[in-house]
Amino acid sequence: MADPTCEEDSPRPGDVAALLESSRVNSPAAGAGYMAGAMVILVLASLYAASRPEPAWVMLRGAAAMGMLGLLLLMAHRTWLATRGVRRERERLVAIEELLQLRRWPEAAAMLDETLSRPMRTPQGRAQALIYLGSVLSRYHRFADAAAVYEHLLETEPMDEPSAHALRLGRAMAMLRDDRLYDADRAISELRRSPQVPQSGGLALLEIYRDVKTGHPQEAVELFEQKLAVMRQQLGVRVGDAHVLAARAYDLLGRGDQAASHYLDATTLCPLEELRRRYPEVAALEGRYPPAARPAEVQP
Amino acid sequence: MRAEKAIARARRDLLVSTILKSALIGGAALAVVSSASVNIDGTLVLAAVGIAWFVLSYRSVRGSRMAAGSPLLIASGDYEQAEMQIEAALRSFSLFRTVKLLSLHHLAVLRHAQQRWHEAAMLSRAVLGQRLGPLRELSRPSQLILAEALLELGDLQGTYAALCRLYQERLTLAEALTLLGIELDYLARLGDWERMLQGTRQKVQLAELMPTAASAQAQGLLALAAVRSGRAELARWLRRRAELLAEPSELCRRRPALAALWSA
Repeated sequence: MADPTCEEDSPRPGDVAALLESSRVNSPAAGAGYMAGAMVILVLASLYAASRPEPAWVMLRGAAAMGMLGLLLLMAHRTWLATRGVRRERERLVAIEELLQLRRWPEAAAMLDETLSRPMRTPQGRAQALIYLGSVLSRYHRFADAAAVYEHLLETEPMDEPSAHALRLGRAMAMLRDDRLYDADRAISELRRSPQVPQSGGLALLEIYRDVKTGHPQEAVELFEQKLAVMRQQLGVRVGDAHVLAARAYDLLGRGDQAASHYLDATTLCPLEELRRRYPEVAALEGRYPPAARPAEVQP
Repeated sequence: MRAEKAIARARRDLLVSTILKSALIGGAALAVVSSASVNIDGTLVLAAVGIAWFVLSYRSVRGSRMAAGSPLLIASGDYEQAEMQIEAALRSFSLFRTVKLLSLHHLAVLRHAQQRWHEAAMLSRAVLGQRLGPLRELSRPSQLILAEALLELGDLQGTYAALCRLYQERLTLAEALTLLGIELDYLARLGDWERMLQGTRQKVQLAELMPTAASAQAQGLLALAAVRSGRAELARWLRRRAELLAEPSELCRRRPALAALWSA
């Protein structure tokens, strides 16, 4: 589903299936077999030459030693190249992460496109890049693609439970935004079985959004009141998302005072346009409740 | 493991690995020089050196992997497991300086997370005192740990010196965020409110990217500066943002000066 309000028109990440394929990590052992073979041949040649006293064979031993030295230097050079490649890849990933944090989406998309369109150096780096790709795709409202990326990571990459939980959250949110309510509900049920559940602010936010989206404001309000502390601790300024969804839920329940209070808190933490972009459902609150005024010193 | 012991052990191991590397390189050079001789088979010696290098490198990689796991454990709060991994990495043999220096740095990160400021400062100084080579990017996080540890220890002069060194570096965004937190804390202790409010908009934007507790503290300190500078509207807005991110009692417990925000 394309977002007509998305101001960052280009460049956008390319074909997701192609990027998943092209970014696969090449085996680092490629070529090592040839090196080992050459080493064995040189040793055997040298041993054979050692049994011959003629000057020509002595020279061959010298040549074999030089060859072995060359081989060792070549190995050292390959190691250096590989290390430099890994370091550059890591630097690129740091740069992409910074662009995402600074909300410079088109530049992040372009860098991800370039990074993922050739084999990556390490599986960890690839997983990281794909997680960033999921974020960018969600930003461009390509929720089906984002869910596919998260699905691919969950199926193919071994990862620790907190990382898997974060990916499942991303996948479920993408499904919810894509109006795949049945799939999202199944994904949420799967999330609830995770050992991270009691402390997960992300899951609480996801469930509140589902309840608001599916017209269950009472459940949304109850969950918000119950989980506000953990969401505040884990989500940082994104706890503003929970406040704006709570405002919408209170509004649906006809509790205007509480809706106004949470709308004020939400807009104290996050710009209104950003909240509207993330949750189109809260656009209904605009004009009915006053947003927080930003002081002149922090006006853009 | 005590910081002094870890530093002494790392220094000793760095010396041993340097000697061993020199011996291997010397052996290889000797093999090439003597390859023409009938008595010594240079190829075999070189192969032996190559195999020894490979085996020792493999052992070093194992140590490196042990060291690599600890930041994640520290981030998840599993300090005991992190301590065990770092200790194992420090005790294991490594041919490369990077493994030892990285382990020492991780120990500094752990002590910083545990708020054992004196040890964190000592370890960071030890890392910064070494020739970092390919690990030169470690110097910035080490300086940041040192600056924060010295600030917590009340050494404002030492903090200032560390901050000055950091201002000359090109920082990553994550490092810039940490630096901003330390700088605000430092300036608040000096009572330099006007300087704290220079570039308020950018500082607030950066504070939004920090982890929750650091973000609440940074915005609380900016609110305090706004109160002291008589900018009431800005102070109210920043104080409310800090309240929405953390309990005021928790903020005041960490930085008692912030109590002034809620006492009026």
